[in-house]
Amino acid sequence: MSIEIKGVNKSFGDFVALDDVNVSLPTGQLTALLGPSGGGKSTLLRIIAGLDSADSGTVTIEGTEATHLPPQKRNVGFVFQHYAVFKHMTVAKNVAFGLEIRKRPKAEVAEKVDELLRLVHLQQFAHRLPSQLSGGQRQRMALARALAVEPTVLLLDEPFGALDAKVRKELRDWLRRLHDEVHVTTVFVTHDQEEAMEVADEIVVINNGRVEQVGTPDQLYDEPANDFVMGFLGETTKLGGTVLRPHDVHLSLRPQVPGAHEGTVARVLRVGFEVRVFVLTDDGDEVTVTLTRTQARQLGLEQDTRVWVSAVAGATTVDPVAAVV
Amino acid sequence: MASRSAAVGNSSPVVKWVLRLLVVGYLLMLVAWPTAYVVKHTFADGFTGIQDALADPDVVHALKLTAQIAVISVVINTIFGVGMSLLLVRTSFLGKRALSVLIDLPLSVSPVVVGLALVLVYNGRFGWFGPWLEDHGLQIIFARPGMIMATCFVILPLVIREVVPVLEELGDDQEQAARSLGANARQTFLRITLPGIKWAVVYGVVLSLARALGEFGAVKVVAGNVGGQTQVATVLVQQKYQNFQQETAYSVAFMLVFAAVLCLIVVALLRPKEHQS
Repeated sequence: MSIEIKGVNKSFGDFVALDDVNVSLPTGQLTALLGPSGGGKSTLLRIIAGLDSADSGTVTIEGTEATHLPPQKRNVGFVFQHYAVFKHMTVAKNVAFGLEIRKRPKAEVAEKVDELLRLVHLQQFAHRLPSQLSGGQRQRMALARALAVEPTVLLLDEPFGALDAKVRKELRDWLRRLHDEVHVTTVFVTHDQEEAMEVADEIVVINNGRVEQVGTPDQLYDEPANDFVMGFLGETTKLGGTVLRPHDVHLSLRPQVPGAHEGTVARVLRVGFEVRVFVLTDDGDEVTVTLTRTQARQLGLEQDTRVWVSAVAGATTVDPVAAVV
Repeated sequence: MASRSAAVGNSSPVVKWVLRLLVVGYLLMLVAWPTAYVVKHTFADGFTGIQDALADPDVVHALKLTAQIAVISVVINTIFGVGMSLLLVRTSFLGKRALSVLIDLPLSVSPVVVGLALVLVYNGRFGWFGPWLEDHGLQIIFARPGMIMATCFVILPLVIREVVPVLEELGDDQEQAARSLGANARQTFLRITLPGIKWAVVYGVVLSLARALGEFGAVKVVAGNVGGQTQVATVLVQQKYQNFQQETAYSVAFMLVFAAVLCLIVVALLRPKEHQS
């Protein structure tokens, strides 16, 4: 295990940011810390980097006890949401910063900077100032700067949060490919579940300062530990006291399976290729069902149509009562 | 700006001209005319006035002393000011607001009061520290240390008030990035923080230098004002003027004005650069 976090607590005044957090992050993988804003994920990342200190608990990086090490002794690369570029230095100087601090020979620095700028596709901008770059380019430069010192772990704090949707998606794919090339243990913070599911090998879901679940994207999606994780990773609806995904609800015009709930279609909403049907069951549940356009057309659904809804076989369900910790 | 000038433009041209005349007249009567008068009197007989003044050893000594005190005070104030600004912006501690208010005190307290306060604490006969310090061979009042202290007190806020807003705007993102890349506190300060606040520091230094050269009240109280020993240029101007050596007084006054104007020109030249970077 590359990063071991044991019993970490952190509060800011009355606000508890992290509450007894225990997590192991594997070597060489791309891990996402996922959760809503203010849930403590950025604080955890900053504690790993040494930019914040934990009130109690320990942090171990690659077998080295790092709890009380200052950030410059931890050999971590950190990428900030707002890039934190050195405004008065050229792109090349920014990337060279960590190497110059380490007093590497000039030729070696120049070679390494050149190699990294090529890796992040910025070689033609080496002599520009950061103010002459776009947001996406600045963030790629910041990434090259962090990678220059050959960190044991690379930490990214909402790295694409300040970018527009299109650049965000490009950089996301690019980060995944970069990681496959460089293989440095990487941890990134995000509140976007799609980003986490698409990029990460492993996801740590954090909410209210606690770790809710750790697992691969598939594990989290298929076997959510509780209704918070289930709700955060995708849309959910309630049927007969259980929480499940709208696409796991079967809808028919006649009672086909025993135990199906009878109800009336309250509203039909078409969003692109999918159709969302809101069904009001006779038991008083409001169930959302997602169908494809073809399915919806075959059924001929309209408002006030009588329908029967049931969970499909093998649906991911969570009992909300059991999930309340 | 544009909307404001448009609002003025709406009123009648007569009002506009009266307002302009009022402002120009005010500045003329208060600043330009008196200063021009000093210049006129200095050069009444060409350069002889200045040559005569510079032939007086007391004048040369006073000018040298003024420069010395100003430079030493500005160096101390710059180091202290930058350190203090970092403390105020980058850390939080009990009494920070009180300290921030205290820093502005020299702007509101009369320099004469500052001088008197220093005399009370440091004089050699009945001050709190004075006798003890003098026993150990350090005379503060009526000597250079006291004059430097008085000047430092007066120029205290000038560097801090320039640097603090720039530091606040800069944020600590870049410093954190430098730390995570392996820089220690000293390297972070020299390579990241200092280049970021460079122009603010220069601006503060020039302002405090101009202020230090012209300081009169506080320094007069703590200095012995003995010609050729502990008399600075401003005090010399007053003394020469009262002793009916107006020629010399005007010449030294002109040199002080010249130095101050030079400082202001330097500031004016630096300003646009500050915006470009």
